[in-house]
Amino acid sequence: MDTLELLREFIKRRVTNPPEEVNPESRLEDIGVDSLTLLDLMFDMEDKFGVRMPDDLPRPETVAELIEIFEKLKPASND
Amino acid sequence: MTEASCRRVAVTGVGLVNPFGGDTQDFFARLMRGESAVNLYHHPASPSPLAQPAVSCPYFDAEVVLGRPLAAVTDRYSQLGVAAAFTAWDDAGLPRQGGGSDEFGVSWGTGVGGTLTFEKGYTDFYVHNKDRAHPLSVVLAMNNAAASHVAISLGLGSACLSYSVACASSAVAIGEAMRRIQAGESQLVVAGGSEAPLSFSVMRAWESMRVVAQGNAETAYRACRPFQAGRTGLVLGEGGAALILEDWDHAVARGARIYCELAGYGQSCDHTHLVKPDAYGQTRAMKLALREAGLDPAEVGYVNAHGTATREGDPTEIEALRQIFGAHAASLLVSATKSMHGHLLGATGAMEALITVLALARGEVPPTAHLEEVAADCQGVHHVMGTGLHDVPLRAALSNSFAFGGSNAVLAFKAVA
Repeated sequence: MDTLELLREFIKRRVTNPPEEVNPESRLEDIGVDSLTLLDLMFDMEDKFGVRMPDDLPRPETVAELIEIFEKLKPASND
Repeated sequence: MTEASCRRVAVTGVGLVNPFGGDTQDFFARLMRGESAVNLYHHPASPSPLAQPAVSCPYFDAEVVLGRPLAAVTDRYSQLGVAAAFTAWDDAGLPRQGGGSDEFGVSWGTGVGGTLTFEKGYTDFYVHNKDRAHPLSVVLAMNNAAASHVAISLGLGSACLSYSVACASSAVAIGEAMRRIQAGESQLVVAGGSEAPLSFSVMRAWESMRVVAQGNAETAYRACRPFQAGRTGLVLGEGGAALILEDWDHAVARGARIYCELAGYGQSCDHTHLVKPDAYGQTRAMKLALREAGLDPAEVGYVNAHGTATREGDPTEIEALRQIFGAHAASLLVSATKSMHGHLLGATGAMEALITVLALARGEVPPTAHLEEVAADCQGVHHVMGTGLHDVPLRAALSNSFAFGGSNAVLAFKAVA
């Protein structure tokens, strides 16, 4: 399952009144991923991909930014 | 605060998580039949086998009651609390959407709060060698989480407070909510408590105090025997219960159904011993509750006792009742419903207040279950034994909560005239 799919599944599970569409352009705040939910989401993805997101990375604001962070962190063999 | 400025407080809603699985009416009906929710509870994930008579809520499905998103960000103690609050809110005839107000608050009690979250966190660190905590750990475990989720879910903007006074936590929460309504600070308060104490460490800790009743699969249901000769102690329980307390005029204006009046709240501290209860401290709290409610002891028909079934606690409470009620004590109906719903620690005060409210409103008094022979040092009151009493005209009733640490809280309820 790729990162976007994982994100869509997480949102369906965790967000009250999930949005119809989750696209790379979507702003995280707009699709129900506030600061607390983002922490939970990142923790989930860190576990799933076996990676650690460094503390000094800027907070992603869009779906695309989030995906880019995890794509960079994922070990190459997982692709 | 003069008497003239003191506003009256009505109970307009009740709700709980029923360990038997049904609704509030079902819960009370089973208590009336003397049915016990105590079972031999096998801890599902303990490092060594742990089985203890206890009350759990196996039928409670947080995802169904709260929805998946809220269930995912709450400790079980908060889930039980929000569920109880929702039930009480619905019972009061208030709408879930748009029913909130900045004049409505929350007053909540818990003893051990998010202990299950703490235990999972420690297990991750010390057993599974993880080096980071789940990011929601703080907000799951914090002792004000339940109250905050109630406020967020229902849109309540007045003071949102949590009280931690061991076994008296939610009795205090209810009493303090009464004070805020009396002072005109809130028009309505969701007041109650919740507890999910069945973590391995909490269960073992209570076991170490040698006050937990023993039992096997066959006998666990009657392990908790308040006032019984040869009683062996308490049983722990998880759960949540809530009352909707409302300014009397506000309740009347919206046509709310009023169960009864919360007319008195007495508090004291024994200040003698950390766990050994003191009759004098208990009598002071009862006197204060009666005085505020304007009640003569003879007007009280029923007392829901703290009655944990410990060797020392039960006779102390009976002695205190004998002192307060004097000649009337012999006809005073008393029952200890922990025999059936267990000791919910911080949530117990609210559970028992709810039972007392229903007893008063319906004229029905539940029994002390499994009581066959009243111990010599527990005699002097009219113990309700076997099954409950029906058609009992009651003008007033008390609910007692006497905590470890010595804090005593007594609530006095009066029937609607």
